[in-house]
Amino acid sequence: MIKSTPMMKILALPLLLFFTVFLIAPLCMVAFQSMRFGAHYTFQNYSELLQNSAFLQAFLNSLIVSSCAALITTIIAFLLAYTMHFTKVNKGLRFFIQTSVTLPMLLPTITYGFVLIYAFGNQGTLTQLLGSPPFSIYGFNGLLIGYILYTLPIAYVLMNNAMLYIDKQYLTVSYLMHDRPLRRFYHAVLRPMLTTIGAAFILTFILSFTDFGIPASVGGEYEVVAMSLYRAMLGAIVRFEQGAAIAIMMLIPAVIGILLLAYLQRYQVAFKNNKQVALIPSATRDIAFSVFSSVVAICIVAIFAVLLIVPFTMGYPYDLTFTLTHVKAVFMQSELLQDYRNSIIVASITALLGTLLALLAALLNTRTPLKTRRIFDWFSILTNTVPGMVLGLSYLFLFNDSTLKGTILIIVLCNIVHFFTTPYTMAKNALQKMDHTWEVTGQLMQDTWFATIRRVVLPNMKATIFQMLNYYFLNAMVTVSGVIFIVSTETMLVSTRIKELQHFAKYTDIFILSLFILVTNLLVKLVLDYLSTKGSRQNNENES
Amino acid sequence: MKMNPKLFYVLAGTSMVLAACGGEAAQPKDDERVIIYSNADDEAVAVLKKALDDKGYKDRYVIQSMGTSELGGKLMAEGTKIEADIITMASYFLESAQQKNTMFKDMKVEQVPVDDYGTYQMPMLGNAGAIFVNTKALEAADLPAPKSIKDLADPIYKGQISFPNIMDSSTAWLLIQGILNEYGEKEGKSIIADLKQNAGPHIESSGSGPIKKVKAGEVAIGFGLRNQAVQANTEGMPIEVVDPLEGNFTLTESISVVNKDEMNSLTEKIAQTMATEAREAMLAEYPVVLYQDETLPNTEKAANFKRWDTTLTVELLEQHQAIFNEAQ
Repeated sequence: MIKSTPMMKILALPLLLFFTVFLIAPLCMVAFQSMRFGAHYTFQNYSELLQNSAFLQAFLNSLIVSSCAALITTIIAFLLAYTMHFTKVNKGLRFFIQTSVTLPMLLPTITYGFVLIYAFGNQGTLTQLLGSPPFSIYGFNGLLIGYILYTLPIAYVLMNNAMLYIDKQYLTVSYLMHDRPLRRFYHAVLRPMLTTIGAAFILTFILSFTDFGIPASVGGEYEVVAMSLYRAMLGAIVRFEQGAAIAIMMLIPAVIGILLLAYLQRYQVAFKNNKQVALIPSATRDIAFSVFSSVVAICIVAIFAVLLIVPFTMGYPYDLTFTLTHVKAVFMQSELLQDYRNSIIVASITALLGTLLALLAALLNTRTPLKTRRIFDWFSILTNTVPGMVLGLSYLFLFNDSTLKGTILIIVLCNIVHFFTTPYTMAKNALQKMDHTWEVTGQLMQDTWFATIRRVVLPNMKATIFQMLNYYFLNAMVTVSGVIFIVSTETMLVSTRIKELQHFAKYTDIFILSLFILVTNLLVKLVLDYLSTKGSRQNNENES
Repeated sequence: MKMNPKLFYVLAGTSMVLAACGGEAAQPKDDERVIIYSNADDEAVAVLKKALDDKGYKDRYVIQSMGTSELGGKLMAEGTKIEADIITMASYFLESAQQKNTMFKDMKVEQVPVDDYGTYQMPMLGNAGAIFVNTKALEAADLPAPKSIKDLADPIYKGQISFPNIMDSSTAWLLIQGILNEYGEKEGKSIIADLKQNAGPHIESSGSGPIKKVKAGEVAIGFGLRNQAVQANTEGMPIEVVDPLEGNFTLTESISVVNKDEMNSLTEKIAQTMATEAREAMLAEYPVVLYQDETLPNTEKAANFKRWDTTLTVELLEQHQAIFNEAQ
């Protein structure tokens, strides 16, 4: 093992400071609020909640529906990533699957609810194709579908990224040793992936657990805890103290998550090599996985197709004449350009700074012996657990008197904290799967730790870095809940404009702006994907 | 293997440069423009803009629309540190913000409001509640059009009605006021319980949720702001307004000026203009009387205005929320 160097400590310090100010302090603020009851400080808010049977039922409902969604999402995401890495798929089909699966990520979650109603509702596009509603979209079913659509892209990105670093030669070895297929699958794929699978499950669980956009649209009578939180914070009567207590209680699953992840950590495997090798041929396998993945991809596209129908009809569902009037009207609005510019600035800075931060944190966590390194795992889980709305509101309280208020910077900082988990986990997965002797070799060759990272480690994770940039950019473009409280008239974003339109019940305009964001994100994604594959191809060529 | 340090430098370099830009772009404090936060509808904002522009305030103000819940959260959390100089919002909410943060300035109003709103708010418009139906959906489900809120409690409407939840939306209060005023607490509770049964998953957290569902044909009947239904009708949707026999109750939205350490000299003038100059057009758009000696214009208006006999306060809303929750 290498020794810690001053360089590592110098890098760790600003990171720790950052998280203290922008994560721990706001959370303390929330905890502080939750203890307030009238003029004094007690646990009254908590005991009231624990005696409230409706709240406890909502908490239980949330646990149930989020676990189901997380389980299904994790399995589907694993199979999809497996299709991409361990089976032969037609190149065009591969592109289609890859793009459609990540499609929902390119849209604000606020759009999902409308999409579900317009697709599966009584007058929905899919309902009309099928003749009658396939099932009631309200309640458990709607939540389940909504959560899966919402979290599948993220789980898939995580799995896909981790599988990049699995040494496929193990499969060949296992094959040559005449292992039975299941045994081969277990040792060469499943076991090295266990930590990622666990992380994906916990991540998707918590995302579903804390989302309130989907329950607000299709929750129906199935009360979930995120709605209780929303009601307390932003209901007809504002009860911040009660909301803060709910938010703190919602952190409990996170603590369990941390313990689970720490346990799974022991299954982490590092590979010396991640060369692409020829797959063992199997037509049955290839066809089965291609079909499965295509079905998933087609379902997603079919659900979101409504986005392309509603804005271009006069008055869906009663007047289906094709028209461009709605689109033209939206583009006539003068604020849109300013909003769009703000969105692009925020998303770009978030992507660059956020990736840098997540990368550094992951490096310090996985490839240094620093005592403080474990703390980044805690930060990662915490950022994931805090609902965006709570984070935004706590920023509002905490930075009310500071010059940060009303700036682009505070939006960027909020985004970096809010979306830290996935890029950090991606970087960590990549770094953990790389050979741990590189730094030692570097040291023996008189290179500094930093030089080894820069010259050996980073170039080997280029694809991941592009994916991290992409993740931060997309999310900064689509987020509403986290930033709605900290945007000002000068820093309005396209996504927060959508929230404003929701207030006016202008659903057609919401779909148009969503398409606008979708197209932007798609372009950015294609460019970054191109850059990342181009980079790795060059690497491969250089190696051979 | 080829080492590539460029990527790292590019990443680090650009982020620093951009961070610097971000900091700079982040302080565009235009002291000249008065900032107005409003939760009012598009139509109301258009009326305000026209009145202000006509009075020569063009480019001296900016109106930022936001949802009721976001604006409510901001008012409670930020107090006088709020970015806005002027707020337009539901009057009961302004009252509770004033109670918590003492954040609004006293205003001189020449006209006398019908209700007492305190000296720190000037009533701007009244929003009436009403039932609305999707005639095509009603026809398809072979249902008679309802006449009253009580009608909606009939099991024949099961799965066909949508209304907002009073825990989340003040629009819902117009429904509950109508029920409690007409039938009292005991019968009212049983009607609310039946309504809940009939609406099932269509009890909406947003005040505009029901019109969304009725427009999409998801349910045939909804309760919400009368104006939104009138507008859907004007747009050519098969939406008709039904003014309930229990009466059209109204919610007042008012204008308040935030009491800041440094006030923009135009703020109060602009607030006055919003309250007085825009009032006539506002009354035409939202035909609800707010000031004494106002008469309703001869436009499309609610059939049966009614008022709750005490002032609408947060405490009253809390009582009505409790009744709503107890109704099972």
